[in-house]
Amino acid sequence: MESAVYAAVLLDICAIVLIFVSYVEKKAGARRWSKTSDDMELTDEIHVFHLECDEILIGRHASADIRIQDMSVSRYHAMLNVTDGKWMITDIGSKSGVFVNGEPVRHVRLYEGDVITLGNRNLIFRKRRVHK
Amino acid sequence: MSGALSYLLSCIFVVAVHGSMLLNVYSNGNYSSINDVIGLSAAVILLDAVYFIIMPFFKHRTYAVDFMLLLILNMSMIFQSCFGGVHFDTKHFITIIAALVSCRIGYMLCRNHRWIQTKKKFIWAGIGILLVVILLFTGSRSMWIDLGFMSIQPSEFIKPLLVLACATSIAEQQNRKKVWGFNVVYDNLIIFGITAVVILFQWWCRDLGSIPTFAAIYASCFFMRICYPKAKFSKKTLIIAGSVLAVAAIIGIILAPAYVKARLFADIWSNPDEDGYQQTKALISIAEGGWFGKGPGKGFLHEVFAYESDIVFATISEEWGLLFALMTVLMLVLIVAMPLVNPPRSYYHGTMCAGVCAAFTMQMALNIFGSCNMIPFTGVTLPFISAGGSSMVTSGLMIGMIIAAQSPVFANPTNKKNKKKHKQQKRRTV
Repeated sequence: MESAVYAAVLLDICAIVLIFVSYVEKKAGARRWSKTSDDMELTDEIHVFHLECDEILIGRHASADIRIQDMSVSRYHAMLNVTDGKWMITDIGSKSGVFVNGEPVRHVRLYEGDVITLGNRNLIFRKRRVHK
Repeated sequence: MSGALSYLLSCIFVVAVHGSMLLNVYSNGNYSSINDVIGLSAAVILLDAVYFIIMPFFKHRTYAVDFMLLLILNMSMIFQSCFGGVHFDTKHFITIIAALVSCRIGYMLCRNHRWIQTKKKFIWAGIGILLVVILLFTGSRSMWIDLGFMSIQPSEFIKPLLVLACATSIAEQQNRKKVWGFNVVYDNLIIFGITAVVILFQWWCRDLGSIPTFAAIYASCFFMRICYPKAKFSKKTLIIAGSVLAVAAIIGIILAPAYVKARLFADIWSNPDEDGYQQTKALISIAEGGWFGKGPGKGFLHEVFAYESDIVFATISEEWGLLFALMTVLMLVLIVAMPLVNPPRSYYHGTMCAGVCAAFTMQMALNIFGSCNMIPFTGVTLPFISAGGSSMVTSGLMIGMIIAAQSPVFANPTNKKNKKKHKQQKRRTV
């Protein structure tokens, strides 16, 4: 009987430890993700948008990850995604189109310093800066 | 706390749990020779050690699910080896290794969403081939294909493929076409068609217990589509979909075979020796086991049909106690809940996680509530705990998907060729 109780108690503790470990790994994973994604950000003259996800929706709609409240930007305008350390931008059927460095694009890879134009708004794709 | 330290801590606790369970087998178990306990202990600890060494080579972002999987699998090995007296269950040990291997395969296949999305036609073809196999080799006669040395249940392998089919087509929500005035996404129609055909085949095979699992996978996929940007689901569409589902369920109950109707409305205690045999015995054994159980191998439920698969929860409750059985279920729930801690980073990975979690949750609910007579008895396996190779391999594949969703491809190039390319691209940008 006693050994059954010990086994149940140890299983409880193990479950708690594994939950704790998963939170530790989450923090470490976020750090590693920032490092391997080259820690990029999008910025216009006023706002800075941190890119902290594999798929980022840009648009005017409230559900967009990066919300740009400008009538020239479609509600669901473009999708940014990253695989193997490469950032890509995809036009998801916007009315005014997506331009990278002045060129109209449907699906293209982004490099540091690229200027993305969505409607009347320009966004610069750059390395994340430490804001004090 | 560093990654290495948390890894070591997890290893220690996983081994400690298995060690304490083996100690319980040694002190309370029903064994004829001590060699049986030593053999079982050696196999469990050896598998733990080998997996601890192999795991870091896969370079996941998180190992918590792996540890939980190993914990559950070796717990299952100890449970299954104790039913009806302590012995070494070789067949179950092989299926556990197969589950671990399939988990690795699932992880490798599913982590790169860009690559797998280009292969979705192969996934549809895979489901088609399995349906042809079901049509030719199984059916209402039997759900299994008997190969002599082992039996395979082909319908089990459709589950991970259906999850993958749903996940790989999620991005197609943007490709809407106007057909007869309706906005149509072809992939949605294909997924609906596949699910409908699979459910019809399960109906024909008399495997009605697995229909809720497929329905749960499709339902999770449907909800993920609603959440997808630009996926326009009006209230009208949702009400129509809900009404169609309700009508289909009512027609299903009306057209159900007689034995299914009998199970749906049966009072097990009025006929405990025939229709309610398994459930009455399961309930009695759970009550007799109490909180801490009779001791490994000392139960009587191993004399009842499907004690190691369909009513395995009751068998564990009897021998190990209700507390331990509930803790085992909690570990399964924790595996399913892990994507909440480490959320998937793309819609593809999110849909994949939702599908896997829906399938596991439905299977757990059907098995546990079914054996406790809270819902009609279905004969669905409890993931990782029940005996059965097909179920174990597919469950392993699906856990591989959860791990892949938490550790997607997001690494700098590793081989020399790619490194050169990467450097050149960087120079160009500068």
